[in-house]
Amino acid sequence: MIAFENVRFRALCVPSLALPPGVTTIIGPNGAGKSTFLKLCAGIREPEPGTISVDGQNPRNTEIGYVNEFPDRNLLFSTVMDELASPLRFRHMPCTETDREVRACAETWGIAGLLDREVKRLSGGEKCLVALATACITRPRVLVLDEYDSHLDAGRCAAAESVLRSSGVGYIIRCTQQMETAAESDLLLFLEKGRILYSGEPAAVFSRLAGTSFYPLSWRCRS
Amino acid sequence: MEVPIVRLVLENSVMSRPDWSLAADGTFTPGIHLVSGDVGSGKSTLALLMAGLAAPRRGAVIREGIGPAMLSFQFPEFHVTGLSVADECRSWGLEPGPVLVSAGLDLSMDRPALSLSRGELKRLHLACLLSREYDLLLLDEPFSSLDCPGKEWAAREIGKRSRGITVVFTHEQCIFPHTDHIWEIQEGALVDCGGMPGALHAWEHAPALIRRLVMDGTVPDDLTQDAIMEAACRTRE
Repeated sequence: MIAFENVRFRALCVPSLALPPGVTTIIGPNGAGKSTFLKLCAGIREPEPGTISVDGQNPRNTEIGYVNEFPDRNLLFSTVMDELASPLRFRHMPCTETDREVRACAETWGIAGLLDREVKRLSGGEKCLVALATACITRPRVLVLDEYDSHLDAGRCAAAESVLRSSGVGYIIRCTQQMETAAESDLLLFLEKGRILYSGEPAAVFSRLAGTSFYPLSWRCRS
Repeated sequence: MEVPIVRLVLENSVMSRPDWSLAADGTFTPGIHLVSGDVGSGKSTLALLMAGLAAPRRGAVIREGIGPAMLSFQFPEFHVTGLSVADECRSWGLEPGPVLVSAGLDLSMDRPALSLSRGELKRLHLACLLSREYDLLLLDEPFSSLDCPGKEWAAREIGKRSRGITVVFTHEQCIFPHTDHIWEIQEGALVDCGGMPGALHAWEHAPALIRRLVMDGTVPDDLTQDAIMEAACRTRE
């Protein structure tokens, strides 16, 4: 369980919240505090005051993969091969094993053809895929994904969803502006002006958002 | 009085790298054009080509009657030239107050532009950009990072454009502006799907909902949400 207790950070206020294992998606208007919430989950920021724990551990003592909403801010190295390998090299994994893991991961994410490319020459969507694969390559306990899908086409989104679901990662916490994707979550949170207004299963949360832009278009068409 | 012809012609244009190529042949006339394609298919490269910021390896890009032109990059941070929100608006020659109102943003004028969330920055960028008129406006992923109300706002604003050629490069699946013509990139070539609504029959990258409506024989007249909803309602009649 990821537990929030009396958490405040700037305008964000989460008095009490428990995120079970599985896929948690956070939605809400631009500027609502979604990215701040995710940075707190990832341990990039620490609450002031309050506590966040991942199965009883401080997030900073937990293996966490993180993807920033700005694709260029994820990429540290010049080639895709080096970017993907970096989390393994930081752990001093032997070269042959690193190479094998990188190629397997690239294959899984459908980016094997990009391994020798310079990251600065990738398209926006390709950068997102490289960032996702790099975040997943160490099989972290928690994946925190900030609008990872905003530059992906529908086919890539579906493929990414499938890879994430089968990754074995215990907690996937993400935000998206694709409501059809949000509808496929185990837990959905709606954040506005730094407060979680609604949380629960997608059907329950979206029922509170009926008549707003956040209600999935395909649901509107079937109702 | 003779009305000047405004059009952009891609004449057997080819762009290539050792592992990739894109062939584009077609004519863009005034109206709103949608270009879709998979990740890495070359949408952004095509936008650069049409903007004149990249040259084709073969063929030509011919602009006729095109004066003011603008390319909006998919990453709004690439456009920031002002330190603060107010500076950023003024860098476009605009007064900040009306820009923030039109963008639906409630921000301090002094806030550093690069401290905004990505969606806020995208809204600010689009509000500045769309306040001007262009003969050629190229929008690379204008909806990415925007929240749902923001996407609807952007779609409305883009759809209002009555002058010049507007080309929207996007993989958006739900919220679109009024659209006159659809193109897509398939297997390394730009394909002309045609004018609306007939283009929907040929559009390989059509969102699942639109594909379903077309298969059901209830083809939306447009890509706006209202048109899609109207077609979906027709299904049940």
